[in-house]
Amino acid sequence: MGGTKDGTASDGLVVEERGGDLLAVCFTAMAGPCELLLPASDRADARELGGLVAREAWRVEQKYSRYRSDSVLAWLHSHRGGNVVVDEETALLLDFARTCFMMSDGLFDITSGVLRGAWTFDGSDRIPAPAVIEGLLPLVGFDKLEWQSPRLMLPAGMELDFGGLGKEYAVDRAYDILADCRSAAFLINFGGDLRANRPPPCGVWQVGVERPDSDREAVLLLELEHGALATSGDSRRFLLKDGIRYGHVLNPRTGWPVVGAPRSVTVAASSCTEAGLLSTLAMLQGSGAQAFLAEEGVRHWVLL
Amino acid sequence: MQLKPETGTVRRRLIAASCTLLTASSARAQEIAKLLADIEKTDWHLDSALAYYHEDGRIMAVEPVVNLSRDYGDGGRIGLNFTFDALSGSSPNGALPSRAPQTFASPSAKSLSTARHTYTTGPGQLPVDPNYSDARVAVGGEWQLPLTRLTRTSVGGKFSYEDDFLSASVDASIEHDFNQKNTTVSVGVSDENDQLHPIGGTPVPGSDYLLFEKTGHKSKNGVGTLLGVTQVMNRHWLAELNLSADRFTGYLNDPYKIISVLDGSGGMTGYLYENRPDARTRRSVYLDNRVGWNRASAALSLRYMTDDWGVRSKTAQLRVRLWLDGKNQYVEPTLRWYRQTAADFYTPWISSLAGQGPAYASSDSRLGAFRALTYGVKYGMKLDERTGRTGSEFSIRAEYYRQTVENAVAAPGALQGLDLYPGLQAFLIQVGFSY
Repeated sequence: MGGTKDGTASDGLVVEERGGDLLAVCFTAMAGPCELLLPASDRADARELGGLVAREAWRVEQKYSRYRSDSVLAWLHSHRGGNVVVDEETALLLDFARTCFMMSDGLFDITSGVLRGAWTFDGSDRIPAPAVIEGLLPLVGFDKLEWQSPRLMLPAGMELDFGGLGKEYAVDRAYDILADCRSAAFLINFGGDLRANRPPPCGVWQVGVERPDSDREAVLLLELEHGALATSGDSRRFLLKDGIRYGHVLNPRTGWPVVGAPRSVTVAASSCTEAGLLSTLAMLQGSGAQAFLAEEGVRHWVLL
Repeated sequence: MQLKPETGTVRRRLIAASCTLLTASSARAQEIAKLLADIEKTDWHLDSALAYYHEDGRIMAVEPVVNLSRDYGDGGRIGLNFTFDALSGSSPNGALPSRAPQTFASPSAKSLSTARHTYTTGPGQLPVDPNYSDARVAVGGEWQLPLTRLTRTSVGGKFSYEDDFLSASVDASIEHDFNQKNTTVSVGVSDENDQLHPIGGTPVPGSDYLLFEKTGHKSKNGVGTLLGVTQVMNRHWLAELNLSADRFTGYLNDPYKIISVLDGSGGMTGYLYENRPDARTRRSVYLDNRVGWNRASAALSLRYMTDDWGVRSKTAQLRVRLWLDGKNQYVEPTLRWYRQTAADFYTPWISSLAGQGPAYASSDSRLGAFRALTYGVKYGMKLDERTGRTGSEFSIRAEYYRQTVENAVAAPGALQGLDLYPGLQAFLIQVGFSY
């Protein structure tokens, strides 16, 4: 992906030329590379539009980051045990998370983050003791929250993590902002989760899906006219013990990694949030991922 | 525990849930986007249009309009507009057709016999002044500035100049958002001052046309108030209700309009200058509904106006915009229906038998009862990609207007069979460009 670079300006954006007569505005958000792709046009305009997208990504990141002390998430964690009123956007996300929790029978759970305390997927064979996991399970379960929009009581010891939907949500948010002020083709790509409004003049958007364990080598080249794609992957994070590969996708009900999950699942849907949830739910089915996707009748690509 | 009770269940529920998530918070996101866009957009925005207006067999007008506006990041906005009108053609002078030729003097004349320009209307024809021409230059400005996060105020002024007419007006309004910016209430006042310098002097209202009783310049004043409520009903529907009232006092006549005086058999015995009351109070209610979907939007507006001259008018307008080619082009058909009752003193002619004439009288068809239909269509093409600026657009609009006189009074004797109420047809073509 050669091309001329403008160099990173003080606004954190880099404008690059891409093949197929495209311009890319690149920035970093949510710990990964993000970009806005546009048919080649004025660079200043591209930068301006990229700014809208980046600011929205940074806003969502800042608000729901697990790593920032000034995030809404940190604020919620600091008020554990108390009854708090959350803002409208957070309330909508919590409602959405509850719907996903219930419809997946507890497999998709934004309170499962505490389990990470027991698992470190560093490629080693250090499997946690079952007792440690047993001890954490009482702190997992969306149904243990007292959530009646807009009031939330997060019990002591529990954690919320919007990581499972934050990036996809940010793509959709940024998409809406851009769609309101631009009718010409664009594609928003936040680290592989992407959404396009319409095909570019050159025909279709070509999207490469990386093979999770090979460094940045696109093995799957997809063509997209419009709509969203999201990928859930087992990536490079795993443990290996006694010939069993423990991927990083945890079943919140058992506290153990899902067995037989594919390396990556890519799903096409109308919104990135929807695509992301479907791919995550497919991963959580483990070896049943493909059957699940076929059952749901969505376009999907699975790397085993 | 399996996730597959039936095909696509999870997906369907997910679509519904993500729809709720994404659309409900989108109003907020839009607000943020607008805020950001405002910060970035400190360039002047240009809106220009050139209109060609043609009244069937009468007036032709060419009107270029230029609007310039600039948004400041803090919600402040400055708008300037320039209009130039060039009208030419023939304008009805208010008299009725007759079986015999009729001769009139151009307005500048001091008497019919010494008039340098006279015009003669043939038998059965509607008398029109064929030398009608006028040029108007108008400039206006508006300055909006935020007072608080939810309150804005705006002041504006307009100045318009014609050879025989000068108008200056100022207005001020204040707007406040309530209910998480879903409701906006605005209150406004305006003041207008007009000076009339009719060519050849101002006729004495109700005086005999042949006596050429003229005085110097005249003026009229108007004050108006407006109360408006705009409500976001939901993501797709915006409603606006306006109540307004205004009162004009002073010389409210059209100085070039006369009325035929007829005897009992329909014979033309002379003409009088029209004579309107020197005050007019109007009240109106206006309701506008705008709905928008992804590929189409529609606006339905209804207006009811009543005044103390006895004119009551109703307007209904429907405009539908259909987006084509993504959102790069649109077609916008318009249908407008209008109906008004006549002013109490409207009369197509005055009877010479009545002895003393009526206190007030005008034969101006704009004060008579009529209904009108306008059919229009507009085509627009977004030029954002070509110009590299959002909001760039080329548009072309065509409208056809047809006015039909209502409650026409039957003509006496000799005038029977003549078309006394020809109505009006007009068409308009406008080409617009925004950048």
